[in-house]
Amino acid sequence: MTSRTSYITQEGPANALALNKDNSQVVIAGRNVFKIFTLLDDKFEEFCNLRVGKNLNLNFSCNDVAWNLIEDHLLATAATNGAVVVWNLNRPSRSKQEHVFIDHKRTVNKVSFHTSEPMLLISGSQDGTMKCFDLRTKEATKTFYSNTESVRDVQFSPHQAHTFAAVSENGQVQLWDMRKADKYFQHFTAHSGPIFACDWHPETTWLATASRDKTIKVWDLTAKPSCDFTIHTIASVGRVKWRPQRKYHIGSCALVVDCGINVWDIRRPYIPFASFNEHKDVATGIAWRGDPQSFLSTSRDCTLYHHVFEDASRPASQANPQGIALNTKGDVAYACKTNVSTSTSIEPLTSRIMRKQPVSNDAFCQATSWMHRFTASTPNNSGREIKFFKTCAENYLLSGRLNDVCDHNSTVASNAGRNDISTIWSIIKTCFENPLGSNNNPTRRQVSEPDAVNVMNLLPIGTNNDQLNSVFDNDVRSLQSESAAGAATTATTGMISGGDDETETDEPLDNNHFTGPYLTNYRRLPLDYGKRHQPKGDFSFGECELDPLPNSIIDFSNGGDNFAICNDNNWSLPKEAFPLRHEIQNRSPPPEQFPNHPPEVNNEDAGSILIEDQPCQLVIQCVPKPTFWNPSSLVENTLRHHANIKDIQTTVSILLALGDKRKSINIEIALQEHWLLEYIDMLGKFKLWDVATKIIQLAWISSVSQLNQQSTTVHTCCGTCTKSLQRAGWLCDRCHSSKHALCSLCHQVVKGIYTWCQGCSHGGHIHHMSEWFETNKTCPTGCGHLCEYS
Amino acid sequence: MFEAHSINAEHKDLIHDIAYDFYGQRMATCSSDQFVKVWDEDEHENWHLTASWKAHSGSVWKVTWAHPEFGQVLATCSFDRTAAVWEEIVGEGSGPGERGMRHWIRRTNLVDSRTSVTDVKFAPKTLGLLLATCSSDGVVRIYEAPDAMNLSQWTLQHDITCKLPCSCLAWNPSLSRLHPPMIAVGSDDASPSNGGKVFIYEYSENARRWTKTDTIASINDAVHDIAFAPNLGRSYHTLAVATKDVRIISVKPLPDSAANGQARFEISTLAQFDDHYCTVWRVCWNIMGTILASSGDDGCVRLWKDNYINNWKCVAVLKGDGTSAQSSDNATSATQNSNHTAVQPALSTTRYQRIVPTISMMAEMDKVIQAPLSMNSKKYQTSSIKGRSNKWVMPGIPSEAYFEPPPPNIAKSKNKK
Repeated sequence: MTSRTSYITQEGPANALALNKDNSQVVIAGRNVFKIFTLLDDKFEEFCNLRVGKNLNLNFSCNDVAWNLIEDHLLATAATNGAVVVWNLNRPSRSKQEHVFIDHKRTVNKVSFHTSEPMLLISGSQDGTMKCFDLRTKEATKTFYSNTESVRDVQFSPHQAHTFAAVSENGQVQLWDMRKADKYFQHFTAHSGPIFACDWHPETTWLATASRDKTIKVWDLTAKPSCDFTIHTIASVGRVKWRPQRKYHIGSCALVVDCGINVWDIRRPYIPFASFNEHKDVATGIAWRGDPQSFLSTSRDCTLYHHVFEDASRPASQANPQGIALNTKGDVAYACKTNVSTSTSIEPLTSRIMRKQPVSNDAFCQATSWMHRFTASTPNNSGREIKFFKTCAENYLLSGRLNDVCDHNSTVASNAGRNDISTIWSIIKTCFENPLGSNNNPTRRQVSEPDAVNVMNLLPIGTNNDQLNSVFDNDVRSLQSESAAGAATTATTGMISGGDDETETDEPLDNNHFTGPYLTNYRRLPLDYGKRHQPKGDFSFGECELDPLPNSIIDFSNGGDNFAICNDNNWSLPKEAFPLRHEIQNRSPPPEQFPNHPPEVNNEDAGSILIEDQPCQLVIQCVPKPTFWNPSSLVENTLRHHANIKDIQTTVSILLALGDKRKSINIEIALQEHWLLEYIDMLGKFKLWDVATKIIQLAWISSVSQLNQQSTTVHTCCGTCTKSLQRAGWLCDRCHSSKHALCSLCHQVVKGIYTWCQGCSHGGHIHHMSEWFETNKTCPTGCGHLCEYS
Repeated sequence: MFEAHSINAEHKDLIHDIAYDFYGQRMATCSSDQFVKVWDEDEHENWHLTASWKAHSGSVWKVTWAHPEFGQVLATCSFDRTAAVWEEIVGEGSGPGERGMRHWIRRTNLVDSRTSVTDVKFAPKTLGLLLATCSSDGVVRIYEAPDAMNLSQWTLQHDITCKLPCSCLAWNPSLSRLHPPMIAVGSDDASPSNGGKVFIYEYSENARRWTKTDTIASINDAVHDIAFAPNLGRSYHTLAVATKDVRIISVKPLPDSAANGQARFEISTLAQFDDHYCTVWRVCWNIMGTILASSGDDGCVRLWKDNYINNWKCVAVLKGDGTSAQSSDNATSATQNSNHTAVQPALSTTRYQRIVPTISMMAEMDKVIQAPLSMNSKKYQTSSIKGRSNKWVMPGIPSEAYFEPPPPNIAKSKNKK
């Protein structure tokens, strides 16, 4: 007995195969092939080729072959020309052909020996008849008229000696008694399409039918035929064969599409129990070798295969038995196989034992899933996370003065329970805030003249004294009025341009309040300072000075230099500054209290004043210099960090809140766009469209800000024939009139902007209409509509 | 605490997939019984079956929703070698009950595969209406509906041949134009000798074709599911892989790599868990990308979360039979492997971690609350799901959080089994 999957290739495809009585030999038959093989351990050995002789006529072209299960030397074939040929292997000559019955008018589809009477043979033909042949008298003893177009399969019942079943192309199954040739004793419509094959169950009174409607049906014929099982396959079913010793198993092969041979458990009709995928083309015949573990098959790919169950693939075991999904609320939907493993079954012990007993087949067919939805009954991690997200999304301010925005957002985050995010907002505020208070007056244009710089460097920290400060203050105040105009700009524009900011000159200066921090900060600065020092030389103050425009910010940025200049004359630090500074210092980021301020060179006056004040400034400037620090790299890192820890909300909110200050942050536009898009998408998931829209409106990247402007098309139709206007708005292609485009007032065709009332749909030239409505309230056509109010 | 609500799906065979729609208010299930069912949530948070139809003539493996801007659209794929696109339409008939009736109609049937179609996924919406399928003969196909209004017309744009049978695929969800379209494909080929089982394909705009840009070599076992975490603006991509264990992989594009012929990505394993102690079938991210759910043959869903130093931890275990939510005792006693899991709490900690000390993170560090962690020693009692603090630090030794802990000795823990 062969125990391995093996195959042999033939010169042509076989249409059918049959095994002998003891399953040691197999015959295959096709149009160009008719051979007997002996089954050896791991291979096929050709036993005899029946397709011999000089006259290889159509009698050798077989649709089907049957091996007599009692008289081992007798074979029968169904020929494509309508002949039924009987072969006798005991004939001494080379040709084994014993007899040819030429009774059918058309192709014979099937031949079948009687299960207990070896000399009885039945055939089913395309001509719609079945004939019973007696091999002793060598004649067709009976003809059974099916009254259908063609009979595709005919099989003797293993249970009742005289009964056979015939299936036909009109989807009918007929049950005949051999002794009553005039009419079937039972018939029923089994399928909606042609039935190609049937097979009696070896033990029970089941008949399986296979049809082009892609189903295999199992009929219980004990009483009125009833369809007990239906298997849905993926293609027309060509052959079915019950698996020996396995009550619920049946093998099938498809007529088209599916090259595999599937063995099904009829109790689980959706997924094959085992699948054999060796063939390269559709299989044409299946024959079990008497035991459940192996079978043979022929295929249109010209091979004869011996399959063993060990090598089968089990689609059910590869199939994913579980599904899992999480939704926006954090609910988990989970479906899994019910009897997964013992580890999860919490049932009483008895039932577990019961479950273990059934053989694997039963386990196979008990396949159902549990489905559960797990919802957070108390806020858990993800619930809080989502709540926080929504709260913040809805309540964050995204535009306005940075200070206010940060304060507000910090409170929002804090109220929502996220103190860390709240802190971030506070830090952002501090970073960009004007340390000198809320009255932003561009008091001094500061000037980083090289001289001044040098002088400053020479001065020791802490040299500034009150006197100087007060002098300076006075100067500053005096400037305020002059540069009041500039103040507004600074407040809103905040810092300008440029990643490479430069330390500015003076600003931090002076205050005694600052001294403490300065000292500490100063130590850290040298690193940066060295780098930043150089750009100063490039900076041309002259340009700014000469710039007549009050708003010279742009010029500065164009010039490639940015100054952070302190504009404020209020020298007291905001309250937050001190506590924050401690935190920051603990964590090693550079101190961030000192904002960069946009340089404001507002007017020439300012410039000249500065020059006058030079001595004061020099003194002041020297101190601050080292303290200048540009927060943009810190902010940049923060933004990137929050994006990386999946907190896109914070990233985008800060980015938006920064307003124009974001220009100083060195993050490529594509990445900013990415962040915005991701956040907008996320808001969409929570249906926070109003927030998303706000962000789209605030977006500074055209691809984002245009999101709301896409896909809006205005279609115009002719008012008389309702055909859409394509070429021009004032001429309809179909009715060739411009009637719909006439002005209600001048009755001329409107070829420019047509304006109309959405209430009564009358309209005309825009200037005519506006003139009319200056004095009238109702529609000019006299329709009575109060257009003004619609 | 999670509450388990049983849903009687009434599928006649295994349920293979569940998918929430974009808003999480509709749910689709598919089963071997060849049916697809759609469930809708009402205002009282009850779910109702609103549609059920026979979608295929074989097991339906996966079901997935398109972005709602394309309408109410589902795609399914099946053992019957086809993938199908379904659209829900609202009846306009005048007959009684017809108006407003919703039903699903098949818009197209994609029949190019010659073997079972194992996965189907819509591309991120920025790429248009694109659909990728993969099949068990190892072909990935990309279809496009050139006209988003006409769902019945799909053209096969690309087919990509992988050498191994494909079991799952995932689109990189990034909306950035910095990231070219990317698909990760997993293979359930079981033989480790065939090398890595997760392939990464990228679309090159210049060459107009998809090319395999990388293979995750560290995963040699059959892969059953993969899922990209929502990108949310990160520079790298996070991929969860369900194989014999759960892996979290980071795929970081390297700049300028194409030019000098180096590897396109830096691929590293962020975490690896074998808490399921058996095949892991599914992985799924929450929409914030903060929680990974995995499910395995042990019938449990495990939820994983990382803390601020990318240290991943199990935060909940949900039993597939819905019992654990009521009683943690039961769940624990029923867990077959509770005896050995108890001795090795280290296993659920991450083996690999990356520490990204950036300034703002450091700033937060002080504020991280050390929540009392009941998971510490008897972690598996947590199979009941206790809500935890939303901050995570390494249990026990806080200082450990700053250092990479030594990888737990896996061999030893296996012996303890």
